Amino acid sequence: MKLIRVLRAILSEIFEESAYERFCAREGVARGRESYAAFVRGRRVQAKCC
Amino acid sequence: MRGLRTLLWVGIAALGALAFAAVALHRGEQINALWLVTAAFCTYAVGYRFYSKFIAVKVLALDPQRATPAERLEDGRDYVPTNKWVVFGHHFAAIAGPGPLVGPVLAAQFGYLPGTLWILVGALFGGCVQDFVILLFSVRRDGKSLTQMAREEVGPIGGVVAYAAVLSILVILLGVIALVVVNALKQSPWGTFTIGMIMPVAMLMGIYLRRLRPGRVLETSALGFVLVMTAVVGGKWAAVSQVTVPSIRWFIDGRALPHFVLEPLSSALTLSAPGLAFLLILYGFAAAIIPVWLLLAPRDYLATFVKLGTIALLALGIVVMHPTLQMPALTKFVDGTGPVFAGKVFPFAFITIACGAVSGFHSLISSGTTPKLMRRETEARMVGYGAMMCESMVAIMATVAACVMEPGTYFAINSPAGVAGGLPEKAAATISGWGFPVTADAMHRLAQNVGEVTLFNRTGGAPAFAVGMAHIFSNSLGGQAVMAVWYHFALMFEALFILTVLDAGTRVGRFMLQDALGHVWKPLARTSWYPSIVATSALMVAAWGYFLWQGVRDPLGGINSLWPLFGIANQLLATAALCIATTIILKTRRATYLAVTLVPLTFLVIVTFTASWHKIFDPDPRIGFLAQARQLAAAGGNARLIFNNRLDAVVTGLLILMVALLLIESVRQWIGALSGRRASATTETPFVMTRLAEERG
Repeated sequence: MKLIRVLRAILSEIFEESAYERFCAREGVARGRESYAAFVRGRRVQAKCC
Repeated sequence: MRGLRTLLWVGIAALGALAFAAVALHRGEQINALWLVTAAFCTYAVGYRFYSKFIAVKVLALDPQRATPAERLEDGRDYVPTNKWVVFGHHFAAIAGPGPLVGPVLAAQFGYLPGTLWILVGALFGGCVQDFVILLFSVRRDGKSLTQMAREEVGPIGGVVAYAAVLSILVILLGVIALVVVNALKQSPWGTFTIGMIMPVAMLMGIYLRRLRPGRVLETSALGFVLVMTAVVGGKWAAVSQVTVPSIRWFIDGRALPHFVLEPLSSALTLSAPGLAFLLILYGFAAAIIPVWLLLAPRDYLATFVKLGTIALLALGIVVMHPTLQMPALTKFVDGTGPVFAGKVFPFAFITIACGAVSGFHSLISSGTTPKLMRRETEARMVGYGAMMCESMVAIMATVAACVMEPGTYFAINSPAGVAGGLPEKAAATISGWGFPVTADAMHRLAQNVGEVTLFNRTGGAPAFAVGMAHIFSNSLGGQAVMAVWYHFALMFEALFILTVLDAGTRVGRFMLQDALGHVWKPLARTSWYPSIVATSALMVAAWGYFLWQGVRDPLGGINSLWPLFGIANQLLATAALCIATTIILKTRRATYLAVTLVPLTFLVIVTFTASWHKIFDPDPRIGFLAQARQLAAAGGNARLIFNNRLDAVVTGLLILMVALLLIESVRQWIGALSGRRASATTETPFVMTRLAEERG
């Protein structure tokens, strides 16, 4: 069970679902189009390695 | 318990030694790939357990009591204390790109042994060390970037050199990987259809994510994956479809003259290298200026989804199929006469394989997002050293994929027309003459099996890797009947990696340019001002587009000139990173352990400076840029090609000059610190006790 929880957490973090949840909690907004649009606006592009 | 653990590690070391002995003793005979994989796995295990522990305890003195920037500066946005496995996954997804797949495939022209040894030794003593120490030093400096650390620890020259090196490597890297895509897709309607479909799929994902299911990224990525797989299978239909469609033809008689035509879909998808290069340049520019949410972000998610799944699948395929390596341990091309790229095994094997052994680019990731997520200093060992070890394992798998095919087939795919010959019969005869039998018929059958018109002269590494991967997959899952699907899946997988690097790199380069140009005229630094976005994006795309165009026009296939240039640039960035790390180790009065970074630094200096010397001044026109320019000039060749070779020589010279300056500045710092003449204060953040430790009591 713990392994599944960790795997789920890894995938949520890699795919930025956790980041979006943190954003909603920090800004005190509900999940939805507006809050997701605001979240994506603040997203920074990270260089990807070759 | 302690006795059991000791016994376990003795067992792992013995198994590794046995695997190496099997590799060493089977000279002139074929060996099973599992020996190589076992040797690698045991080496990584021992290296991680003992060497990384030594670095963690003695050199870096990791302190579990020390609060990390993620804890001290937590803002829920950039600085977020995160579970170590999550940081590991995040870091690995950012460092693993197409490099560890392409480099080892190209270096397989020397045989499987040089590449494998360099991947193992280079990673354990160079690449993993670099990623680990830079990550920790960034953690101890509030997550500062490599260029900031260079400026503060080495001096202003260090900062300027690091900035210029990063920008140069970005430009060269983007040009080269774009060339890999062009070479993989030219005259390949199936592949072109599949890769072309990735764009609308990604945009559909972007809209779905933004409008229908905000924030449900995993669900959207799974949906995108299903659509992309449909495109992979659907490509077979598109490649032979006679449905008439409007399309653009880019050239008439070799001259750029875009014009619309009506033609069958299969013809519209059969593109020449210059046509594909044109499209990629246009795509790069569009991707850099349209909103992140529409293309870049969803395609990034999709790439990560496919990346993690495919790497796991490839590892499983190798274990299940345990193929025999057909390539010899060493080929005669160690003498520098190789057709894939010219140059002797030393130094060229060491710059051809960068990612997978030592990659300077990783230092940017290690001093980027990752240090801001670390919850404890001690976790830097697993994330920094461990993730690079996994990337190195991917490079070993790529070596296996390249070496499981018949050497004749490998050379037929990877040799440019200018070396092996343009016609199938001529190329087959030339390659057979090198001692690697292959026939035009066998290559034709293989091309038919994978759904290509031809596999001759498909330089760049991607098609060869795709054939090897399809060979492994089809023997494990589905048999020959699905080989074409696996081949195009592998091509899609590589192209997806590359396009992700291409967009993200163009955007990051654009930000760097805006940052620098803002010092000249302030409005240019505004990242939301559209004229500045368009101008700097165009500058960035023009810069890498120039190298791409140069590669497409190169009679030797482009990879021969540009991949070594990229390798040199990447390893020079690693040299800069290890230089900064060495300076910091000295300043923190741990000179006893200086060898940990100084040895890989010295080796990389020797490798990169030797390779650069050869690339600029070697009298062999296939190696030296200036010699090739002279040869072309003497033969009354194309003025543009002559200029390109001279430009490559100048770029290589400038890169070397920049790193030499950084080295000189660093050595001055080292002498000052060792003699006590120079203040050796570092910019390390003062110790703060972690709250996590207080909570534990």
